[in-house]
Amino acid sequence: MHAAPPSSLEKHYARIGVVLIAPTVLVFCAVILYPLVSAIYLSLFSIYTPTLAGEWVGVDNYTALLASGDFWSAVRNTLIWTVGTLILQLVFGVAMALLLNQSMVFRSLARSLVLFPYFLSTVVAVLVWRWLFNDLYGILNHVLLIAGLIDAPVNWLGQMPNAMISIILVGAWKYFPFVVIVVLARLQSIPEQLYEAATIDGAGPFQRFTDITLPQLRDVLVVVVLLRAIWDFKEFDLIYLMTGGGPVGATRVLSLLVYEEAFRVNRMGMASTYAVAMMLVLLGFTLVYLRQTNRLEEG
Amino acid sequence: MNASRARTIWSIVAWTIVLAVVFPLIWMIVTSVKPQAELFSIPPTLMPETITFEHYRRLLTETPFPRFFRNSMILAVTTTVVVVALGTLGAYSLVRFKYRGRETLATLVLFTYLMPSVVLVIPLYLMMAKLGLANTLASLVIAYTTFALPYALWLLRSFMTSIPVDLESAALVDGASRIGAFVDVILPQAFPGIVSTALFTFILCWNEYLFALVLVNSDSVRPLTAGTMNMLITSFNIDWSLLMAASVMMSLPLIVIFTFLQGTLTKGFGAGAVKG
Amino acid sequence: MIFEKVRKTFGSTVAVHDLDLTIDEGEFVSLLGPSGCGKTTTLRMLAGLEEPSGGSIRIGDRVVNSVPPAQRDIAMVFQSYALYPHMTVAKNIAYPLKKRGVREPERSERVRATARLLELETLLDRKPAQLSGGQQQRVALGRALVREPQVFLLDEPLSNLDARLRAHMRAELIELHRRIGRTMIYVTHDQLEAMTMSTRIAVMNAGVLQQFATPADIFHRPANVFVAGFIGSPVMSLLEGELTRSDEGDGTGPFRVRCGALEVALPAGLLDRSAAPGPISLGVRPEDVLLGSGAHTATVGVVERTGHESIVRLDARGTPLKARAPGDTPTATGETVRFSLRVERLHVFDAATGNRLNADAEDR
Repeated sequence: MHAAPPSSLEKHYARIGVVLIAPTVLVFCAVILYPLVSAIYLSLFSIYTPTLAGEWVGVDNYTALLASGDFWSAVRNTLIWTVGTLILQLVFGVAMALLLNQSMVFRSLARSLVLFPYFLSTVVAVLVWRWLFNDLYGILNHVLLIAGLIDAPVNWLGQMPNAMISIILVGAWKYFPFVVIVVLARLQSIPEQLYEAATIDGAGPFQRFTDITLPQLRDVLVVVVLLRAIWDFKEFDLIYLMTGGGPVGATRVLSLLVYEEAFRVNRMGMASTYAVAMMLVLLGFTLVYLRQTNRLEEG
Repeated sequence: MNASRARTIWSIVAWTIVLAVVFPLIWMIVTSVKPQAELFSIPPTLMPETITFEHYRRLLTETPFPRFFRNSMILAVTTTVVVVALGTLGAYSLVRFKYRGRETLATLVLFTYLMPSVVLVIPLYLMMAKLGLANTLASLVIAYTTFALPYALWLLRSFMTSIPVDLESAALVDGASRIGAFVDVILPQAFPGIVSTALFTFILCWNEYLFALVLVNSDSVRPLTAGTMNMLITSFNIDWSLLMAASVMMSLPLIVIFTFLQGTLTKGFGAGAVKG
Repeated sequence: MIFEKVRKTFGSTVAVHDLDLTIDEGEFVSLLGPSGCGKTTTLRMLAGLEEPSGGSIRIGDRVVNSVPPAQRDIAMVFQSYALYPHMTVAKNIAYPLKKRGVREPERSERVRATARLLELETLLDRKPAQLSGGQQQRVALGRALVREPQVFLLDEPLSNLDARLRAHMRAELIELHRRIGRTMIYVTHDQLEAMTMSTRIAVMNAGVLQQFATPADIFHRPANVFVAGFIGSPVMSLLEGELTRSDEGDGTGPFRVRCGALEVALPAGLLDRSAAPGPISLGVRPEDVLLGSGAHTATVGVVERTGHESIVRLDARGTPLKARAPGDTPTATGETVRFSLRVERLHVFDAATGNRLNADAEDR
């Protein structure tokens, strides 16, 4: 007959594991739980930001949101921004990764340099680009004038559709290296033998690309697209610093709307309502991302 | 087409694009050493006719810039230490231990990507006000930890999963406790990954803007990002030379890290990103 | 060491089923079986790296189910060696001593003594990555030996070595066991290793213990079809057939076996009294098939000549058999030969349960 073990080894280990992750869990409660609950809670109030004095308004904020022209145009702006910059990031990112996968001189230096925009502070990026975009002294206008592509200096940030195009371009410049890193890592793991076998079978370069490279990239691209979509959708720093939402709210995306509502118009309750709406959209994206990564892991 | 001709063509194409990508940064450096007068010449000059460090001198002696730099340094280093410490322990827990709710936690990490910083900023602002920490570096350290930790965990997890389990088993049989095995085996093996993560966290904190903007409102506590933008807004005339000089100085840590450690940084990213 | 009704499940998979095993001190026991049979899981439970889902494990008179590995006085050599990559050979070997609080200078002395024993002295300052496979394996052994534990666990330690080194290390391990006399538990899928090194072998399949006996018993009296087909090189021929009973009165026993076209009368007393007519499996070892003369005929198929012997494949009118013959046998493919069987060495197994029906079957 065997005796019951006194205290299970596995349980003992489990306890250590829990202790190790406890501080992290605490932080996560601060990052996820608290803001989520807060935002939902605050969205039911009307709060004056400087004094933090508030009164209950229930779902009035939400009805105002649905009727608000500001909200819907912010949604539209956010979608234009996200889709525009995402497409550019993808195209340039994949193209660059493919290029950097070829044999060339100083290849590792090139790979490092291309990453600079991503790790640069948004503030620095914005300052540099605002200087480049400067209508009188910016080099961009100068180059375009000399090339004969324009007749007069362009106001990049103060006019539409220039402003939206400008931020989409700068966003692409800043974030495409992320796509490069991920795609390049995947490209490097494709065994050379696959290409060799295809060449022996008579496949030309374009066929090799469509039949071998693309299928291998598909998984990674899905992940990259979803991640970048989520991050671009959330973007605040870049747009706020480049155009401030102007001209006349033409580039005001949802994140800016939340900020303005909270700290310029001083209506923290309404701002929280916008925030909740934003999070719901992102939730949709994240769920799709989760389903895709789970499917990839199984498959 | 033979191999070396192909190589030349790829080199030219790739390097043209790389230079185009890097051009803004080069322009930034060039602008920062041009004298004011030359700055506003039309057409703009590509290479500076004269080089001056006048703007740097002004930046360091006549503006709060040094203070901003110091604040950013303290902030980034402190947050990195905290995040790496918590993250290493947490990642180890997620990777090697079994307990209820572990999978849910791993999924929750993903949900943190959901949080737009604008949404986080409002409750944090309220919390800091209540705790009496408004306008202090400590409030920024706490705030930065909350958003840097998920990224650190993500990176550290992927590094730790590549360490063979047998090593810890051997340590356990040899007489180590779980924590002993962690210190003797995991830490030394994960060290390159920990360094990568630390650098990445440092950069993340160094570059952060929104929290610095909202949670702090006095120059003595402001970090570089908010401080420099503030200089832009408060001055009547935009002093581009000064701003470019400030931009170059702000990017110094990045350039240093990149020159010496480009390999480690991107390796971590590549590994972590694909696993997600 | 005693395993009592030990069970291990991973989720819905049962890795080990109700294992009952008693290992005496100083034995060299091999856990032998194909991949996935549960032998490594059993070893890991003994080490404390897995916890049994049911039953109890005893070392000495202590129930150790919940005792952490560090406290079990056990050393283990892993299949991958698991040497600490960031430590030198000397530090690797010293590690267990360090964990147990052995101080200098005793620690260095013991490390040096172990290194001398395994001829590792010149390698003490190298890192594992700079060593060959054989050297790494010796370091792993050294790390286990230096502690002088009660029990040594070895998880397929020779599988990553090339054939010649493996043969050499087999002899070394046998010698080691003789010299230090401690209990060794050895996991392998290679039956040659198990047969040459063990005092007893525990054959496992799909989580169930098939037989636990000395190598001689396992070879001559396999307890069931699985063990019979697993041990021996070349493998025993297993033929499906029918057991019948008749009384011929010609001096042979009552039982006859028919496999296809082959019919054999079994000697009296070969089978256990409980044997009854019905479907069976007949096991014939190649060395028990004698070519040249006899009551049976067959056509010769492929002949594999290894220099010192030949393995001749026979087709006895539809029944396949293998025979072992001397290296210079003139037998060639396509010939018709006569052969006889050493009937007293035939193995008969019940077709349904796979269990041995011979009278000498022991309880496992």
